[in-house]
Parts: sequence; C-alpha cells; structure tokens
Amino acid sequence: MRLRTKLTLFNAISKLVIVVLFVLLVPVLIRNISSNYVDSKLIKQKNKLLQIVKSRGIETYIENGEGYGSYLPLKEEYISLEDVDPNYFSDTIKRGKRSFSEGDTLEYRILSHTFKVKNKNYLLEIGKSVDTLDETSIPLQNIAFQVLLGMILLTILADQFYSNYVLKPLRLIIKTKLVGQKFPNFSSYRKVQTTTTDFEYLDISIHKMVETIADKFQKEREFISNASHELMTPISILQSKIENMFEEEDISDELKGRLIEMQKILNRLKSITKTLLLISQIENEQFLKEDKVSVFDLLQDVYDEISIRLQDKNISYDIDVPNNWQFINVNKFLLFNLFFNLINNAIKYNNEGGYIKITATASHDKFIINITDNGIGITAEALPFIFNRFKKFRQSLQQDSFGLGLPIVKSIAAFHDIEIEVTSEKDKGSTFKLIFPATLIVVA
Amino acid sequence: MNVLIIEDEKALAQELEIFLTNYNYICDVCFDGVSASEKIAVNLYDFILIDLGLPDYEGLDLLKEAKKMDSEAACIILTARAEITDRIKGLDLGADDYLSKPFSLLELQSRMQAIIRRKFGVKNNIIELGGFLIDLTNRTISYYNDVVNTITKKEFDLIAYLILHKNRTLTRMQLSEHIWGSVVNNDYDSNYIDAHIKNIRKKLNAFAPPDWLETVRGLGYKIKINA
Repeated sequence: MRLRTKLTLFNAISKLVIVVLFVLLVPVLIRNISSNYVDSKLIKQKNKLLQIVKSRGIETYIENGEGYGSYLPLKEEYISLEDVDPNYFSDTIKRGKRSFSEGDTLEYRILSHTFKVKNKNYLLEIGKSVDTLDETSIPLQNIAFQVLLGMILLTILADQFYSNYVLKPLRLIIKTKLVGQKFPNFSSYRKVQTTTTDFEYLDISIHKMVETIADKFQKEREFISNASHELMTPISILQSKIENMFEEEDISDELKGRLIEMQKILNRLKSITKTLLLISQIENEQFLKEDKVSVFDLLQDVYDEISIRLQDKNISYDIDVPNNWQFINVNKFLLFNLFFNLINNAIKYNNEGGYIKITATASHDKFIINITDNGIGITAEALPFIFNRFKKFRQSLQQDSFGLGLPIVKSIAAFHDIEIEVTSEKDKGSTFKLIFPATLIVVA
Repeated sequence: MNVLIIEDEKALAQELEIFLTNYNYICDVCFDGVSASEKIAVNLYDFILIDLGLPDYEGLDLLKEAKKMDSEAACIILTARAEITDRIKGLDLGADDYLSKPFSLLELQSRMQAIIRRKFGVKNNIIELGGFLIDLTNRTISYYNDVVNTITKKEFDLIAYLILHKNRTLTRMQLSEHIWGSVVNNDYDSNYIDAHIKNIRKKLNAFAPPDWLETVRGLGYKIKINA
C-alpha cells in the first residue's frame, strides 16, 4: 500500500472513531450539563423558600400540621413541605419517581432537604421533570453527527489534497531515481524540487549512494582491466623465453618435458587473464552489436570448433533450430563464445555416450533456444551460484576448468539483454534456456 | 630480411631478436620511440614490429612515420592493450597485421610469412611430402590424382602450421593456441590436438602412411622436410 493511501486511510478512520465516540457520549454529556443546571436552580429555589420561612415563619406554608404541596398544571415542577420524624435527616439531589393523586407517575430531579423550626423537623422537596430534558438529546445527537460527518469529509478532502502535494517530491524520487533504473547504470542526477528537508536529504542520500556504487563498480572494472592488461606483458615475456628455450639444440628431452609443464601452467595463467580481460571489455561495452548471422550457421560454426570434443566423448549432438532464424544487432564473436562455452560445458559435464540437444521455440515476442544435456547435472544448492566467478561446483573429469566459462556467458548475455534460465537435476542433466528479445532475432 | 624491433620491454625485445635471428632475419632493436624514429628515418627495413605501449612515444605515430618514409616496410603492431579501437586504428593507418600480447613467437613468424607470401604474390606454394601434394595457397591435399577431401579446415590448419615450422617440434599448447586462438576458452586442455592428429593420420592412411607427420614422444609433433 502506498504511503499516501495509508495516511489518508488512517486520517479518515481515526477521525471517524473520534466522531462516533463523541456522538455516543452526547446523551451523557447533555444529561450531565442539564442536571447541573437543574440542580443549581433547585438549590436557588430551596434557598428562596428557606428565606421566606425564616422571615415570615413556617406558618406561611404549614398550618395545623398539614403538609404543603404545589405543582404546575402540567406537573413539570412540584414543591412539597411536611413535618417529619425529628430524627430523619436528608440533604440530597437525585432522580426519583413521584406519583400524584390523579394516578400519574413522573420522573423528577428531586431536591430533599430537612430543616428544623421550633424544635420541629421539616422535609422540603422540590422536583423538576426530566422527561423534557431527555427528549432534547436525541435531535441534538443527530445534528451533531451530521455536522461532524460533514466536517470530516471536508478535512479528509483537505488532507488528501495536502498529502498529495507534500508527498509529490517523494513520489518523484521513487519514480525517477529507483523504479526502472538498471543497476549499476543509473541515469544522471537531477535534483527533485522540494521544501521538505527530509525529502531533500533522502534525494541527496540516494544520489550519493548511487554515485558511490557506480564509482566502486567503475573502479572494480578499471582494476580488472588494468590488472589484466599489465599482466599481458610479463606473460608474453615468459612465453617467448620458454618458446626460445624449447628450440635450443643442447637441451635434453627431459628438460623439454619440464618446459612443456611450464608452458601448460603459463597457458592457464594466460587463459584466466584473457578471460578476465574479455569480461571487463564486455562490461565496459567495448564491443559493437552490429552483426547479422543465421542462428543455424553460428551453431554450425560452434560445432566445427567443438566437434573433436564431441567425438572424443562419443556424445551425440542434435541441432533443431529453424533455418530462417537470424540474429541481428549482435556481436558475432561474443555470441559464438556464449554458445561455445555453454556447449563446451555440456560436453565437459557429460558422460561418455551422452547427448546434447539444441532446440528452439518462439513464444509471443520472445525467441527461446534451449541447450539440453543428460550429463552429471547441478545440485540444487549449487544452482544459484554457478554464474559467480571462480566458483567450481562440478568436478570435471579432466580437472581443467577454472570457473570462468559461465561468468563469460553471463556477461555476454547481459550485454545483449539475453535472459538465461537454468534447470538441472543431479545425475539427470541440465537445460540452459536462452531467452532472446525480438530485437535480436528475426525470422527471415 | 631486415627487421626493426621496437619494444621497451628489454627482456621481450631480446627474445624476439633471438627467435627471429634463428629464422634468418637480420634484427635491429630499439627500446624507445625516439631512437626508433631515427632508425626508421635512416634505414630500410622489410618488417617493423611496433609495440604500442612505449613510454616516450605514441606507437601509432611511429607507424605513420614509417608509412611516410618507407612504404615498403610491413608493419606489425604488438600490444598488450587489446582495445578493439586500437586494432581498427592501427589497421586503418596501414599496419599489415596486429598481434595482441601475449602471443606465441611461432604465431608471429607465421604472420610474417603470410605477409611475405602476399607481398611477393607467391602463387604456387605446393609442398610434396611422401607422395602427398599439399597446396598451401588453395588449401588442398592430393595424392597423385586423388584429392583428399575428408580433411577438415582445422586439420588443414594444423598441417599448414607444422609445415611452416618444419623440422621443429611444436608443442600441443603451441598448436592449440594457433587453431583455437580466437576462442576465449574456459579450459586449458590441449589434449584435443591428439584427437585431431589421430584423425589426420587415419584420413591420409587411406592413401599412404604419412610417416612425415611425426609424434615426438612427450613433447609434441613435427613435420620433417628434407631441404
């Protein structure tokens, strides 16, 4: 879920919860407020009555020991005064029900107060109907709810609008700096306009990190390129010296044998260095992609180079590729090496009398070439690492590889935007699936 | 044939000189660009081997000077910087060939031979070996009136390379570098040379035993041609 959606959702939900809570609380609040108001009115009336009793005497209300009572026609209020047991005491305000002689029972807020006049104990009750109060709270609740809901909708709209505006730089950073950037080739830096310092910081930090990564990559490439170039001259000198020594007349065959051993080891050093150099040249994009060659012809060229190895292990080799497929916008030398290395591996990690099949399918806008063998396969644990440099998982019988075959394949494939998928089962064989975009193959 | 070797790595220059002298070239050696420039101006050479990585001189400038002074000399560029653009530039400026380090001395010699054949327009380059006629120009082998057409391109390359370096033992490494040099190979196994030689012998044996193709035990192969 995106940040803006999350913020809007949270805002709306939290506001809604608060409003619902408030609306639910409205009756309680109204009851509280009104009873406070009623209570203070009751107390005022009580004080007034006591004042009258004090100045004019209790006789104003009570004569001959008969209780006094009075109420408004609709019985919204009543007042009563009677003498009670001298030991009875009360001074409260609470809710209660009172019945009248007519048979009505009504709910009141009732003030009870006892006081003594001339050794006699009197109880004063003043009541005010509460029904009228309760009735007002429901429409109030409704109004409050509607007004608040309207306000919420307004604020949500405002929030939405503002967060949209304030998060725009972040969206821009994600869109232009992160989405669709091909590692490590990032496009050049363009500052995102923002007044939010956090985003400014984020923008600059991402830019710095990208620059650091790109720089490290560049340094690594340069290092490999320089190191392998620098190694070429000493290797060349050693090779020439060994070759010249080999031709000296007074050297014994035994010594010549040892020179050949040296030559073998030097050859190994040379192969590694040359391969590293090739990988760095591919990664530095020093090759052109302008060649056009028939798929079948290229595979045939590879076959010509490699047939001696197939014969040597008695491996059958089957090319089933449409005659009219043509590679375009490729580097022939590199593609040759890609297929050479894949097929060479299929031979190397195959058993005596095994098979290699090259099949092709077209699906949608992609062209797929599969290289399948029934050799020793790759274990599931090793599979994710086979394209790493200098990793050797499969023990070849010849003991002659140094773990750069698949890294070359990977570099060449990446250079041409060819995808590779590998499926393999130990002791059953492997399939290397090359997926070519429509820009690389045409059907003639 | 006069050769000027321009190479700042003294050890390499020395080996080049020893090797080429062995092949009857007359060698002049320069370790820097300035003296090379003087030599080019004063002397006449058939071959100029130019190392592009000179400390004091742009190697390609020497090539330009050589072309200006003496159009007869064939120039071969030797370089450790195997940049594709360098190669194109060098050949554009009129270099006759281009070898990236590290290269085999035998390979250098075979490139020089190819230039000589080209320059002097050698048409008939046919060697006779035990009844077989090997035509290096048209790349065919025949036995009296029969053409041995089963020989593959790679197999012919091997035979031609052994003939070029006749009477010398070539190791499996040297042979595989020549015939698989363009492949960037993940392995350094040169045993496939044996398989190729076996095939060549089998194919030629259908006509006559090719005794001239010798196995030098433990070392390599050689083609013997009596001068």
